[in-house]
Amino acid sequence: MTGTTAALHRPGTVGEATRVLAELGDADLLAGGTDLVPALRAGTRRPRAIVALRRVLELRTRGVGADGIVVGAGVTYAELAGWAPAPGLAATARAVGSAQIRNAGTVGGALGSANPRGDLLTFLTAADAQVLTCSARRGPRTVPLPDFLLAGRRRGELVTAVRIPPTHGPQVFLKIGGRQAAYPALVSCALVVDRADGRVGCAFGGVAATPPRARAAEQFALAEIDWSAVPTGARAQALARRFGELVTEAARSAAAQLPEGPRDPADYRWHAVGVLAARALARCLAAPAGAEGPAAEGRGGGTVAGS
Amino acid sequence: MTAALPEPGRAGIGASSLRPDGPAKVTGTFPYAGDLALPGMLHARTLRSPHPRARIVGIDTSAALRVPGVAAVVTAADVPGVATYGLIGLDQPVFAATEARYAGEPVAAVAAVDARAARRALAAIQVDYEPLPPVTDPEAAMAPGAAPLHPDSPGYGPGGDHAGSGHPNIYRQIDIRHGDDPDLVGDVVVEDTYVFGMQDQAFLAPEAALITPAADGGIDMVTATQWLHSDREQIAACLGLPEELTRLTLGGVGGAFGGREDVTLQIHGALLALATGAPVRIAYDRVESFLGHPHRHPARMWFRHSATRDGELVAVQARVILDGGAYASSSVAVIGNAVTHAAGPYRVRAAHLYGASVRTNNPPCGAMRGFGVPQVTFGHEAQMDRLADALGMDPVELRARNALKAGDVLPMGVPIPGPMPARELVELVAARPLPPPLDPASPGVASGLALPGGRPAGADPARVRRGVGYALGIKNLLFSEGADDSSAARARLELGPDGVPRAWLHTACAEVGQGFVTIAGQIARTELAVEQIVLAPADTAVGSAGSTSASRQTWMSGGAVRGACAAVADRLLARVARALGLPPSVVEAPRRVLSLRDGEIIGPEVGARIPLAEALADGPVEAEYTHHHRRTERLDERGQGDAHVAYAAAAHRAVVDVDLDLGLVRVVSLALAQDCGTVLNPLSLTGQVEGGTAQGLGLAVMEELVTVDGVVVNPTFHDYLLPTIADVPDLDFVAVTYPQLDAPYGVKGVGEAPTGTATPAIVAAIRAAVGRDLRRVPVRPADLVMPGPTASAGAASPGGAETIGEAETIGGEDGHAG
Ligand SMILES: Cc1cc2nc3c(=O)[nH]c(=O)nc-3n(C[C@H](O)[C@H](O)[C@H](O)COP(=O)(O)OP(=O)(O)OC[C@H]3O[C@@H](n4cnc5c(N)ncnc54)[C@H](O)[C@@H]3O)c2cc1C
Repeated sequence: MTGTTAALHRPGTVGEATRVLAELGDADLLAGGTDLVPALRAGTRRPRAIVALRRVLELRTRGVGADGIVVGAGVTYAELAGWAPAPGLAATARAVGSAQIRNAGTVGGALGSANPRGDLLTFLTAADAQVLTCSARRGPRTVPLPDFLLAGRRRGELVTAVRIPPTHGPQVFLKIGGRQAAYPALVSCALVVDRADGRVGCAFGGVAATPPRARAAEQFALAEIDWSAVPTGARAQALARRFGELVTEAARSAAAQLPEGPRDPADYRWHAVGVLAARALARCLAAPAGAEGPAAEGRGGGTVAGS
Repeated sequence: MTAALPEPGRAGIGASSLRPDGPAKVTGTFPYAGDLALPGMLHARTLRSPHPRARIVGIDTSAALRVPGVAAVVTAADVPGVATYGLIGLDQPVFAATEARYAGEPVAAVAAVDARAARRALAAIQVDYEPLPPVTDPEAAMAPGAAPLHPDSPGYGPGGDHAGSGHPNIYRQIDIRHGDDPDLVGDVVVEDTYVFGMQDQAFLAPEAALITPAADGGIDMVTATQWLHSDREQIAACLGLPEELTRLTLGGVGGAFGGREDVTLQIHGALLALATGAPVRIAYDRVESFLGHPHRHPARMWFRHSATRDGELVAVQARVILDGGAYASSSVAVIGNAVTHAAGPYRVRAAHLYGASVRTNNPPCGAMRGFGVPQVTFGHEAQMDRLADALGMDPVELRARNALKAGDVLPMGVPIPGPMPARELVELVAARPLPPPLDPASPGVASGLALPGGRPAGADPARVRRGVGYALGIKNLLFSEGADDSSAARARLELGPDGVPRAWLHTACAEVGQGFVTIAGQIARTELAVEQIVLAPADTAVGSAGSTSASRQTWMSGGAVRGACAAVADRLLARVARALGLPPSVVEAPRRVLSLRDGEIIGPEVGARIPLAEALADGPVEAEYTHHHRRTERLDERGQGDAHVAYAAAAHRAVVDVDLDLGLVRVVSLALAQDCGTVLNPLSLTGQVEGGTAQGLGLAVMEELVTVDGVVVNPTFHDYLLPTIADVPDLDFVAVTYPQLDAPYGVKGVGEAPTGTATPAIVAAIRAAVGRDLRRVPVRPADLVMPGPTASAGAASPGGAETIGEAETIGGEDGHAG
């Protein structure tokens, strides 16, 4: 049905999986299959072998520790969508595809595909995520997400998990697309605030080959916003507007721009990520301090979250 | 293979009978054509040109034939009969032979023991292409002196009568001149150009057929199509088989919307079945489906409307260019519809309407729900709003004031037949209650679900603006311009195995989802007073039913079923009259004293009361009937003539919310008033108008098959977005039910009219919300928020409105049809 002639391997552990990968040399990993199966059917991917990860239970764990949140590569969007300890991830997961896609699609698959419009990548970039990988030759390795995305998955390597450092503050993920629901992102924007040190992480997707960080906008927020006395009213509006403008500028000057599409000329994308960023900051400013957590989700429900 | 309809109780016409195939469809057991399988069948796949235009220097299939499991490879060289086919003119090669004229054109097909081997064989076929520069701009293709794109194309029309368009790349051009001075211009003038993107039918079940070679040298084919007999004619000609040996049965059809009116994979599969002597299953996947069938014509249109200062429409001028793509399909008929509807549902003193459908190297375009009318409806309705603006008049009032009524003279010089309640419709929708304003405290707004872009877009309710828009349109019903698209039906009243009387019906009418299987049963119950209906599979063993298109099957095949059932009843009653020893005058006209009611034959005046079962004990009664509609005429060289059988009108009111910062649109509410004729099944009717409205919504804000240099770049449901349940609001629908007197039971076709009006109503509402002139559909977010040319028609009209708008150049120097 998938049109593939590849041999299928079904390891039961990460060790087994990396050994199989090393032996095969050239194989595609199969997680939820939401990206791989269409590619096999279309014939754009023709692997000689496929290593299916569903039986690798270690990959399906997630947890919270002192050094942050760790989510296994086999965790699905549906599992993340209701996960209280990671409200930003949960909000992002809820924005992905349809229920069917959320049930099947995984974190590891999102990193493996590294689609520049992938929702999770935008959020993870804003959240300073680290990617945990493993290969038979080199063992486990931890790399910052941008480095992982730049280099691509190495031969014989498996993504085992992602780790997000702990943050204390609101987290927002916003995206737009061609219809009211179940759409791939045209552009997206994620904002992760740490009230403790005033740091703001802002990334945007759908503009460049990997989601860039809007550094100047982050600096601006760090300099201008005192999260212990959050500005309101006109001041908050002005901050959000300026923040959005800076994100638009970051988008305009981002390297490796994606080709223009019929529904999204480049200038519209730049504009739109700025609008989303301004909205995201406005929401963070409006989020009550201390009352964070899933119960505190404000307007926009699935998209504002505190931690 | 006959299926009894599991209909609870007896429900004749007028009742909301449920679909007999409904439970199977919603539970997933309904066999669609793609589900068919036979032991030992081969799997066929198609090789397509990647180039929009290329000379084919050579095709080498030898390596493909050596792939293990491959049974046959066929190319143009293997077509035994006519090398080309087509719905109206035969200009499309079964396989591209010397030149590929669009990206996606079939070049070869392979049959193998499984799909994998077939695919591998496709990869092994060596085609030596010499790419040529594609012509993808219809204006360039139709320019004087442009080189012919298909010089060896046979005549396009029936009998070649449309062929004299005067330009090798123009399928047909029409120049309608109406009134004493067709180029008259009133006091208040609005003019503009409009662009209409390429929509796809996007039916859910991709193309499929199962073909079995028969011992008599013929074939038996089960396929999903809209018109079995037209398929048969084309298939038989290309295979060099007599039509009697080319037997088709309808497979389960998962949507059509015009996209199955043309032959796609049928001939390829049949060639492979004959070459291998084995049953062959041929099927498309989603991408191939997007490439394999003709789409809705993209259009570039210029309009000039003028009126008196008090709002009476004086004249309409239009120039409509439809991009027909590489092959003719139904382009000659689609342009006929587009031009004859270009002035819309309005009375005009003068009109000069020019249109052409043009050959390019874009994907072929043909039939899709509305058939040329949605394009011009988008244009004339945008113009009416402009005019209302210019006049300072209410858009509903302007429409009502100029709305056609029965008997008004159309630009084709003939009165429009009634009923034609256009004015009533637009006034009705305008009077429907409006939805409540956006309430920031409501759960939908709080969650974002009820805001433009849905939850993840995070719209700020304070930056969302509402707009309301209207559109009024008419759509012709049935085939036009002289076509006699009759439909035949066979009916039999018989005793079932359980001794209970039942009606058996046989037609070739393609059930594509519209509900003919439901309506046919209702008609037979009404005419024959039985409960049980047996519907024989639609096939070519009975006469043609014509196409399931043009809003025609309830009228045409419904009329055929009714006629056949009435003839059966007449015969049975005559038999009973004879048996009762009634005088010959009664035997000849038995309905004078006898009638069928609730399973009995009754004749109170002659004291007769005979159970149907008893009357049928002597044997079943069978009759066949062919229904014809009234004759129409071809248009003459000034575009004059009684071209259309009848019309249906529709009016939509749309309410939208627009995110002013992002240009995202949410359609908040849609109201529809439609001229429906007699309603045979209210539930089916609602299904049709809701579906038509949703398809119009898709075109307004999201659906577009995008080509870049002739190549489709978004042939998947990931990139070609269809409206979901979150995008389509509940429809506030009012049916207006004046009977159509020349139609069976007074019906009108209902499937197409709302598709044409939903789109312009939504665009009008968006215009009202953002205050921009929107000249293109689908409307894209960038059109609403970015400065400059993205909001306009863009590169749409080489020459611009000024030059193409000049009255002298309408139709051009050589711009006369015929
Ligand atoms: C209809 C539809 C709608 C969608 N909508 C969205 C959307 O709204 N937002 C969005 O972001 N995405 C969307 N997607 C994309 C998709 O769901 C995601 O990219 C998903 O996360 C992929 O995960 P998977 O488990 O299905 O991956 P698979 O398809 O199994 O694999 C994808 C790729 O990742 C590799 N891979 C898998 N696991 C690993 C691993 N552990 N280590 C290294 N490489 C690995 C595979 O080899 C393959 O190359 C949509 C997809 C579809 C089909």
